[in-house]
Amino acid sequence: MIPGDKSKASANPTKAFFVRMITRDITLEDCIFDLIDNSIDGAWELAGGRPMSLADDTDLSAYKISIEIKPDRFSIHDNCGGISLDDAANYAFTFGRKDDAETENFSIGVYGIGMKRAVFKIGSKIGIKSTFTDNGGLMSFRVPVDVNAWLAAGDDNWDFDIEGADNLAAPGVQIDVTDLNEAAAQSFESPRFIQDLRRAIARDYALHLHRGLTIEVEGKSINGWAIELRQGGEFSPMRASFEENIEGEKVYVEVLAGMEAIPPEDSDPDGDWDEDQNRSGWYVVCNGRIVLAADKTTLTGWGTENWPIWHPQYTGFMGLIIFSSRRADLLPLTTTKRSVDATSQLYRRYRPNMREPSKAWIAYTNARRQRERGEVVGQEQEAKSVPIYEVAAQPAVVLPQVATKKRVPEANVLYSVPKPRLLKLATAMGNIRMPYKEVGLQSFEYAYADLVGED
Amino acid sequence: MASFDSINYSLRPSKSVQRGIVFHGLKALSDAMALQNSLYIGFGSIWFTDFVMAHKALEIDEMISIEANDVGFRRAEFNKVYRSISVVEGRSEDKLPELLNQGEYQARPWIVWLDYDGALDEEKVEEMRWLLLNAPPNSIVLFTFSATQNAYGKPAQRPGRVADILGPVVPDELSREDCNQENLPQTLASLTMDFLSSVVADNARPGGFIRSFKIPYFDSVGMVTVGGVLPALGTAPAARAVIADHKWQGIVDEMIQAPPMTLKEVATLQAELPCLEDLTRARVQELGFDLLEHQIRSFQRYYKYLPNFAEIVS
Repeated sequence: MIPGDKSKASANPTKAFFVRMITRDITLEDCIFDLIDNSIDGAWELAGGRPMSLADDTDLSAYKISIEIKPDRFSIHDNCGGISLDDAANYAFTFGRKDDAETENFSIGVYGIGMKRAVFKIGSKIGIKSTFTDNGGLMSFRVPVDVNAWLAAGDDNWDFDIEGADNLAAPGVQIDVTDLNEAAAQSFESPRFIQDLRRAIARDYALHLHRGLTIEVEGKSINGWAIELRQGGEFSPMRASFEENIEGEKVYVEVLAGMEAIPPEDSDPDGDWDEDQNRSGWYVVCNGRIVLAADKTTLTGWGTENWPIWHPQYTGFMGLIIFSSRRADLLPLTTTKRSVDATSQLYRRYRPNMREPSKAWIAYTNARRQRERGEVVGQEQEAKSVPIYEVAAQPAVVLPQVATKKRVPEANVLYSVPKPRLLKLATAMGNIRMPYKEVGLQSFEYAYADLVGED
Repeated sequence: MASFDSINYSLRPSKSVQRGIVFHGLKALSDAMALQNSLYIGFGSIWFTDFVMAHKALEIDEMISIEANDVGFRRAEFNKVYRSISVVEGRSEDKLPELLNQGEYQARPWIVWLDYDGALDEEKVEEMRWLLLNAPPNSIVLFTFSATQNAYGKPAQRPGRVADILGPVVPDELSREDCNQENLPQTLASLTMDFLSSVVADNARPGGFIRSFKIPYFDSVGMVTVGGVLPALGTAPAARAVIADHKWQGIVDEMIQAPPMTLKEVATLQAELPCLEDLTRARVQELGFDLLEHQIRSFQRYYKYLPNFAEIVS
């Protein structure tokens, strides 16, 4: 017989779980992105809230998000409309999205966890202030959170106090975090962290920045990546649009793929090859946010289902798959918004659409290898970079038909030299940053002309 | 060519100012952090100028000079100015880890000044990284390198070359102008300092890194000295207080270009100092000679550190 007081296994969550555990599986950078996402959701809603297709020309130039990062303080401030008092009281501070929460139009936020997780990850003294429009006037409130005091108050009361506040300069949100956690304080002391954050913002918010949104880090505006595909001559990128209906809701899908850069001369990566600098691969975009960039892994198909694993030979290929829906929860993004949910039915259904242009590119680069060095480069140089927004609709990627041709057998020369000596030789050849391979080839030609003379 | 084969670099006026600022700063840090038991490590060459200052100003006895050149090693052994200086033969990238492996040196703070002859490159950056991550708590590290523009490639290649050397701390928008002859020393000084801070922060070294020395200077070629403190957790507040003091001179905003001057010129200008107002070019002309504005500024700011040179003809 089970005693009455033991007839239920307690499954209540603890505050400590939310503060300590949910912050473990996310990087500091992604936490800051969660806060940016909230600001952008506000701006997108104010600007009309519609599917973010490439053709959409919503103007976001009125909106600005400013981030300040100091060794002892973090703040983010926007003019993107603010959180209303009702939303603050009922939804914004709830851990997880309530079922009755109104779905924001084409938002990036979906799980109702981003802001809390972000500020808990950064520090323990938090001030969230919002100014919003209410019946034609401005209204403001602030929510101060002292994490240690909140934890010490026990698990029965999870609420945060809402207090009156002065208006911000414009409707928007200002979040200040002090008493930083040690890891955040250390990262904020690293200029490398701040530069990499700028780079990641330039890439992952490229579509928003293209529409005029301003994002500042430490007072410096960030220019978004120019995402371009090459078009012209015998090259033409694909651009195809699809529409799905899931749970009575429309989901829009757009796939673009083609050549973004001229492929390397051969498949052997040089000693100075830097894969991280390489923009090639697949990009997955959910409601305007790039959640996966330059992916070359099984997540985007490489190395699965008879599709070869990524190889430097394929460099130059870029594909984008763009999902948008009024309901962000239908899109294949993970809670950290730094990857795709590979189990998503929607995503799996569109993998074949990604596979076809990838295969075409693989076949092209295979055929290209059979040609004389440099012969195909002229053709490739005819194709000029075009912003993805200007790429014309086309069901499949068009690449030149490269007829294979017998070529003179080649010998590969491989040798190592001390790097300082190579740099001195590259400098003497006129370019201290000359690729190692080019230094080798020029050295060979120099020695050949000197010792052998003309063929 | 090794520096001892080219010039006695203790005779360069801006170098003297740089050395004066560094040791003035080290003295303040040493007093605040009680670093008299430190080990001083440097490239003493055959002149040992910094070693003399380390011994006299910082009261450091035990000093190690690293010398890679075999002739230089013999000459350094011959010329060393104190018996407590040990000259070790080899490259610093090999010798520093060997020193760390010696128990007697592991538990003491190091004051390390790697005063390189050449331009910043990947090897030097790797050595900086090693030192930042391995130097004992309460150590102070300083690095000097050439910022002469041609060592970093042609103008169009320079921003990329700087990024190749220092990595992600270099902003993508670094321009050719940032890397021209005039700006390159400041640019390299700032970015190398960012690199040092990032290595320590990214690797969560306890106590962190306190930016302390950023000194671009010019004696016929642009040079840069950067460095900072790697405090133990408990000592960090005392070290930070020294750097935060308004008297701290280690962070130099304007390139030091101390003019070579005659004893007569130095004596004439020095008689006007110290004064609260800026010395003007008109005043120098009134005194009977002339200098450029930036030379006058450098003189007024750093005259205490300027050497007096006279050739003795016998």
